[in-house]
Amino acid sequence: MNKIAVFMTVVAIVSGSVANVWAKFPEKPIKIVVYTKPGGAGDVFSRKFAAIAKQYTDANFVVINKPGAGGVMAIKHILKSPADGYKLAFVTRSNIGKIVSTGSNIDIEKLSWMALMVSDPEAIITLKKSPINTWEQLVADAKAKNGKQIWVGPASGGNDHIMAMKIWEAAGIKTKWVPYKSGGKAMAALMGGHGVAYVGNPQDVIGRPDLKVAVISSPARIGGDFSGVPTFKELGVKGLDNEIMWRGFMAKKGLTKESYDFYMELFKKVNQNPKWREHILKGGATPVFYKEDRFLDIVRQDQAEFTATLKKLGAIK
Amino acid sequence: MELFDSILMGFGVLAGWKPIVVIITGVIVGILAGAMPGLSPSTAVALLVPFSYTMPPGLALILLTSIYIASNYGGSITAVLINTPGTPSASVTALDGYPLTQQGKAGKGLGIALIASTIGGGAGVLILILFAVPLARIALKFSPADYFALALFGLATVASMGRRNVLKAMIAILFGLLIKTIGIDSISGVSRFTFGSDALYEGFSLIPALIGLFAISVVFSKIEQWTGLNCVLSKVDNKLPSFKEFLKVRMTILRSSIIGTIIGIFPGAGATIAAFISYDVTKRTSTEPEMFGKGSMEGVAAAEAANSSSVGGALVPLLALGIPGSATDAVLLGAFMLHDLVPGPLLFRDSPEIVYGIFAALIVANFVMLILGLFGNRMFIRVVSIPDAILYPLILAIGIIGSFAVNSSMFDVSACIGFGIIGWIFKRYDYPVAPVVLGIVLGNMVEENFRRAVIMDGYGIFFRDKLAFTVLLIALLSFIYPFFKQWRTRKR
Repeated sequence: MNKIAVFMTVVAIVSGSVANVWAKFPEKPIKIVVYTKPGGAGDVFSRKFAAIAKQYTDANFVVINKPGAGGVMAIKHILKSPADGYKLAFVTRSNIGKIVSTGSNIDIEKLSWMALMVSDPEAIITLKKSPINTWEQLVADAKAKNGKQIWVGPASGGNDHIMAMKIWEAAGIKTKWVPYKSGGKAMAALMGGHGVAYVGNPQDVIGRPDLKVAVISSPARIGGDFSGVPTFKELGVKGLDNEIMWRGFMAKKGLTKESYDFYMELFKKVNQNPKWREHILKGGATPVFYKEDRFLDIVRQDQAEFTATLKKLGAIK
Repeated sequence: MELFDSILMGFGVLAGWKPIVVIITGVIVGILAGAMPGLSPSTAVALLVPFSYTMPPGLALILLTSIYIASNYGGSITAVLINTPGTPSASVTALDGYPLTQQGKAGKGLGIALIASTIGGGAGVLILILFAVPLARIALKFSPADYFALALFGLATVASMGRRNVLKAMIAILFGLLIKTIGIDSISGVSRFTFGSDALYEGFSLIPALIGLFAISVVFSKIEQWTGLNCVLSKVDNKLPSFKEFLKVRMTILRSSIIGTIIGIFPGAGATIAAFISYDVTKRTSTEPEMFGKGSMEGVAAAEAANSSSVGGALVPLLALGIPGSATDAVLLGAFMLHDLVPGPLLFRDSPEIVYGIFAALIVANFVMLILGLFGNRMFIRVVSIPDAILYPLILAIGIIGSFAVNSSMFDVSACIGFGIIGWIFKRYDYPVAPVVLGIVLGNMVEENFRRAVIMDGYGIFFRDKLAFTVLLIALLSFIYPFFKQWRTRKR
């Protein structure tokens, strides 16, 4: 009896310490590589993530900024680093667009698309006080102006422009795309009445009472402040039921199972954290946790879509 | 009276030792970062954003805005003393500030820059507090055609920059404009002249180019002229400007403050353009235009009042509409978001203590800057007494670190040295370098707004849009006038 107890204790200690040897990831700070400059949207998102993740692990997180070429530089930096699990990268859908439009040789299959954390429905944003601020009014005006209606947004061939082209095609209208340096400048142009629509996400109108979301691309209406916003589906526009702008994290392929599992556990916990959910929901987006299989599918699909559209525009060969 | 109460509330937020310590820290960090070539106001603010994360939101934003306003002054210190603008907008300050130092009047140069910055900064904040909302609304109404006209007006100021040879100044500005064609074209999304290099995808960064053209080029010139002797400026006078000298430039400061604030309000314009335009306007209206470029106190005052007042102007669209008006504004927007605050009209309603706290802090920060600047000037001025053999290697080292700091990229360091060589060649053949900076700063604004206006309404828009047409006409006249004057004097 006694011997068994001693044996059990020894087993417990040995297995415990073995488990400890295996469970020691991470043993140094984890770097989150962000493609925006400090203070940019991606930087803010990553720091928020780090602050909440800190509650579940002793690991330290360091956000490092590697701006350049709309994310291509940051991804190249990840590809050059060892796959030891100490570097995560913040990624968004627009990075995929940049990989395509810059003609860079980045192979998305060499990256491990670990977690898609936020899904943000694409939306048409209009000026409240403009006489053209609903979907019906936009379509009617576009038809009346016959190609002279103006939509504003960031550079041609980017995420928003491609979304706009899909919308025009679905609605059977022709309009002009007037590109601005950034989303913020384009929204200023919308507020000044230089265009009638902007393609963005619900979060763009938060804190800007002049603007409203006219339509969202979502299978069903979203809640909160946006419960009054119709979806394309409701309006009878086909093929735009689930267009999203996503945000997530990836790393270089080849992580050990141990470090991979550590992250999966961490992403799961952050995703369920009430403060995290509140922060994301407040921005009109949805906190989600899509694992690698689903995430990679989305990335492949996006890459194919960007390639096809940019070829059509003549921006790439 | 409601506004008065709100402002009182703002000052109430500052009660206690913590906010005051935060403001003083912000001003010190701002002055030092501004003086350091490579740390522009936006970078300085960005570096402190993570640090402010753990602070209460009100204090965090007070810290960041104090840095913002002080860094615009800080840039003038190195511009005046060693001809190395610490911030892009201080490249205009260097035009007259450095000649003052060479004449042994460094104290006057620094002093007038400080006073102009303080008054300019204060005026900008005052306009921000009183008229933020209506001004922001007017700025939104400006169409791409109007922006194009404004940018062209900025380019026309080149005519007043070529001291003797306007042609050389124009070649310099064309060089700047050409540099800016490299990189992604933000209208069509196509990359231009990048030769497949990722590093060139976003073109050359302004800061490494600025450091190269101004600072590194001087180091090369010094190497070329090296005699082996350690020459030190014999006369270093830390005497401040007299009250009489101040009175002489008071109208310049006032006018430049208003110009700076107004230009600051336009999203996309900013401190550098404000400084160039106000320098140009001051030179044209001055009774001693021949002194410009040779150590005119008016020139220094015009540049510094304009760049500091543009801070208040740039905060107008951010606070009134939630639209960032400058690169630094974009960083501040991020800082607001980090604290779950959204700048814009609703912030005035939901968190007035934050908005008016910022206003009050900006006013206090200006005074703190004045006091610290007066003390600091005695210290800063000693830089000039450093022997050349130490000073110039130091400038080279700081320049390289500063270029690297912008994007943590070695490419920027090579670019900085490349621009240094170009700047050295320019100086050797007496071409001015300031127009190159003007070309780089305005390149995108001119091209993009022109193309945007044409996409929207065709080429006729520049004649139909009354405001754009008027500004274009003024730009044309102001460009031709110096040539006309030259021709007339030659005829005599």
